[in-house]
Amino acid sequence: MIEVKNLSKRYGENIALSHVSFSVGENTVVGFLGPNGAGKSTTMNIITGYISASEGSVSIGGHNTLDEPNEAKKLIGYMPEMPPLYADMTVKEYLNFVYELKKVKLSREKHLREICALSRITDVYNRLIANLSKGYRQRVGLAQALVGNPPVLILDEPTVGLDPKQIIEVRNLIRNLGKNHTVILSSHILPEVQAVADRIMIINRGRLVADGTPYELEHGSEKNGEQKLTVHMEGDPKEIKRAIQSIHGVTRVTNDGLREPGVYEYEIDGSAKTDLRRPLFGIASKRGWPILSEESSALSLEDVFLRLTGSTYLSDNADQYFERKGNKK
Amino acid sequence: MSAIAKKEFRSYFLSPIGYVFSGAMLLLFGFFYMEVLATQSSDYIPMIYASVFSWLMMFLLPLITMRTFSEEIRTKSDQGLLTAPVGVFSIVMGKFLAAFYLFTVSLVATLIPAVVISFMGSPDWPKIFCTFIGALLCGAALIAIGNFISSLTQSQLVAAVATFGVLMFLFLIGNIASSISIDWIKNVFNWISFDARYQPFTNGILNLSSLVYFISIAAVFIFLTARKLESRRWS
Repeated sequence: MIEVKNLSKRYGENIALSHVSFSVGENTVVGFLGPNGAGKSTTMNIITGYISASEGSVSIGGHNTLDEPNEAKKLIGYMPEMPPLYADMTVKEYLNFVYELKKVKLSREKHLREICALSRITDVYNRLIANLSKGYRQRVGLAQALVGNPPVLILDEPTVGLDPKQIIEVRNLIRNLGKNHTVILSSHILPEVQAVADRIMIINRGRLVADGTPYELEHGSEKNGEQKLTVHMEGDPKEIKRAIQSIHGVTRVTNDGLREPGVYEYEIDGSAKTDLRRPLFGIASKRGWPILSEESSALSLEDVFLRLTGSTYLSDNADQYFERKGNKK
Repeated sequence: MSAIAKKEFRSYFLSPIGYVFSGAMLLLFGFFYMEVLATQSSDYIPMIYASVFSWLMMFLLPLITMRTFSEEIRTKSDQGLLTAPVGVFSIVMGKFLAAFYLFTVSLVATLIPAVVISFMGSPDWPKIFCTFIGALLCGAALIAIGNFISSLTQSQLVAAVATFGVLMFLFLIGNIASSISIDWIKNVFNWISFDARYQPFTNGILNLSSLVYFISIAAVFIFLTARKLESRRWS
């Protein structure tokens, strides 16, 4: 449904987007994830034809957005970050305007009534947009994208400004729309995307750094040859740390702190080629350190996101901070 | 195109702009008209139309063109228009037609006093009619210029003041020409002058070259506005 090839966007010296390519099939919900300013909105603006790419091409349903812009735009419902509303119109007037603007052929009354019910704005239908709260404006913005029932929906941060109840409603709506629409939504909030998307794309500094289902992303690190263990062991923490580090295949050990009297939690990262559990048990039994719990953990999506976008773990910083303090003593 | 024109025209009357524009136009016109009636001769009626129209255009047209694009750019509602399946040209034409329609309606309303007078006297209808056509054409060109200026800025105020300055210049450039001794500059100024182009109409002459001039100016600025909107995509 959507084919994006080698998309780049430069603003003078600044590179907003660099060689992004992907394609999205029918009836999928794709989540664009990335920190603020990563290029999510730029990508969406290029797909919808609001701005042009410096390089690369986009085609929607087989229509290239540069060669047949109107054919392509007919297939897209777009809700920008700031919904394109006119404050001096009522919701009814506005949706009728959008209906005419998009040259929709569906039965007007029935179609608009359905959309209002879907986006839950029926009770403000006759009110002036200027007087609506942020949440309602956001939902009118969503309704506007749904006018004409386009097969592709592009939603830029659709739940910003909504209260928790409304967020859940909108999530459900998007999930339902995903059954017979291609939906691309963006967010910088991970659980947001995780909750609705079949597929996640992580964008950072204008580059597509990951692309896959939430499951694939979470377990992708194993394919990359990494594994992670969390163990609780009783004994002298410095010695234990040194001992674990000596195990073949371990790349990093961190002490996560005291859990019970005399018991510390350790996080062990290592290559997935060798199973770390057996040598760990060997050392523990030889030295007489009881292992109270052991858990092998896949990277959470949060870890993947933070790692890919180059942010550091807070715990890492905290570790370094405490280690430095400890050294001073 | 018609959807945009309709929405724009309505929005003139959803905000005070439409009322202020046509109200001010009719009020000023009525005032001058009353002055003429004091002379107790219908001979001056076409002259009143001629002079009042040009002043009204200069002062009031910036009012209706100032927000056409500035407001859309500022509130980012242009995103809705530019991602809808309509071409840039339709957007610009829609906005142009709405402003032109508002201008035409107000202009037609100014004919009412002349119609009333015609029951009792005999105003020079062909002359008034010609002036009317001239004002429409001149207004179309000025609206196109105003819309273009509005597409350059996010601020309505800047758009209004800049448009006012440009319209003033276009009307008064003829006066500057008369004080210049170099012939070719004088000719160029006279050629550009909106006032000189508008004069023939007020004398009851449907001047073809003026007609072509005004229509060309309107077309050029509609084209430029469309280019300007398009260029936003590339910047």
